[in-house]
Amino acid sequence: MYYLRLIATFIRISIQEETAYSLNFFIGLLSALLNLGTGLLGLLVLFSQVNSVRGWTFSSTLALLGVYILLGALRGLFIGPSLNALVGLDGEVWTGRFDFTLLRPLNAQVMASLRHWRLFSLFDLLTGVGVLSLAIIRLQQALEVLHLLKFLIALGAAITILYAILLFFSALLFWSPGFLFTWIFDGLFQMARYPVGLYPGWLGLVLTWIIPVGLMTTIPAQALNGTLSSGLLVSSAVLAVLLFVGATAFFQVGLRHYTSASS
Amino acid sequence: MNWPAFVAMLKTTWQIWLQSRSFFFLLAFGWMIPPLVYLFVWSTVASDHTIGGMTQGEFISYYLLLILVNQLTYSQTNWTVGDSIRNGGLSLDLLRPVPPFYGTLASELAGKVVYMLFVVPVVLLLALILHPVLHPTLPGMLFFLPSLMLAWLLRFLWGYWLALLAFWATRADALLALQDSLIFLLAGQVAPVALLPGPLHTSAALLPFRYMLGFPVEVLIGHLNTTEMISSLLLQACWLLFALGLSMLLWRAGLRRYTAVGG
Repeated sequence: MYYLRLIATFIRISIQEETAYSLNFFIGLLSALLNLGTGLLGLLVLFSQVNSVRGWTFSSTLALLGVYILLGALRGLFIGPSLNALVGLDGEVWTGRFDFTLLRPLNAQVMASLRHWRLFSLFDLLTGVGVLSLAIIRLQQALEVLHLLKFLIALGAAITILYAILLFFSALLFWSPGFLFTWIFDGLFQMARYPVGLYPGWLGLVLTWIIPVGLMTTIPAQALNGTLSSGLLVSSAVLAVLLFVGATAFFQVGLRHYTSASS
Repeated sequence: MNWPAFVAMLKTTWQIWLQSRSFFFLLAFGWMIPPLVYLFVWSTVASDHTIGGMTQGEFISYYLLLILVNQLTYSQTNWTVGDSIRNGGLSLDLLRPVPPFYGTLASELAGKVVYMLFVVPVVLLLALILHPVLHPTLPGMLFFLPSLMLAWLLRFLWGYWLALLAFWATRADALLALQDSLIFLLAGQVAPVALLPGPLHTSAALLPFRYMLGFPVEVLIGHLNTTEMISSLLLQACWLLFALGLSMLLWRAGLRRYTAVGG
């Protein structure tokens, strides 16, 4: 309850900061539209040449695009801005302002993960849901409750994995200040735009098990078109829990390595 | 032109760039990923039959060249020009006995060399793994360097006039993001221009974006005959003159309007 009230306060402050410039509204809208437009046209170009690639039709790839936009939106809503304020360019770990965060009587990880909100990402959230709905209609199956349930579990696992990896990459900064580890992840995350099966075998394995960005979008999309095996669903949920626990522990170890940067 | 001053600026910026090379290597890594994604997607699609007359090996060499050309023509200075107008850094540059444009050009050239230190080895490594197929023609090789040079100038000046809009609007950098999206769609990144469907193909041929990136690659790969190359080169030069004129005009008008912010 206490944390919920705190999050509500964080959100309120972020709204005040962001709406100070009314132009930001239109820029947020523009970037959401560009994100949607390039994604959709990219798929249209690909499927104007072929009907399906390795079993992925236009509709199921569209579902995957929806998941990709949705995940990117959730990341941009709070995980990204919060962790960026911590470890990004001129972030708190660089400048030493992290001291003040640590002094507060609150779990440092909660603080670091939930403090900043970028509400214009809600535009992306809307377009993501729109693309997903369109894909479901096009898949032309009465959406079975079981498929929907599997999809929601897979999506929850994907968000958890996304958060855990970002937290892990952020914590690396405690050992090597000055290197933007999260930017490496930004690059790799773009590969989640297409199904893992479309990449060559070795890369597919890397994207599934080593840095599971491919997993995040491929498995929820498979749940929607009904090709997801229960085994894969369970293992992705287990992986999500393991990564979350591991990344949290790693962040705690990293915290102990933090030796303030201020003079 | 004041050559000694320019050479001195080039040396300084080169050393500044080299000092934080890991940062720029990370940027280069991020820019490399989108073409790499489409390299894998199209080479998977073309693994058992040709697409639009291109084999798998040709797709691979197309995209590997595109990664190189993209890095050579991308102008990161366009973002910093707008920033220096917004935060008043331009005032300092104006006090120097050389035009601020020298500084922009110097950092452009120094940046290219630093980025190439990262991109060339990676592309060579990828070429070893992926087996590209390239049949360059003699006219293609002759036309490649001029088209590449014009492509860089065009992309640089086109971004420059967009950045100069910062004299009038504080968030003009949103237009640079729009330009990046258009280049993604129309300049041969999402697919070689020849594969784009109807209206996209026509607009790609007429608008300037293909001539900033895709055109030199198509020239070297041997997709165009000599008349096509000459007419495209002429159109490229026209767009270049247009961008040059607009840049000069906006620079003069903007400078008269400029009031420094901060000290």
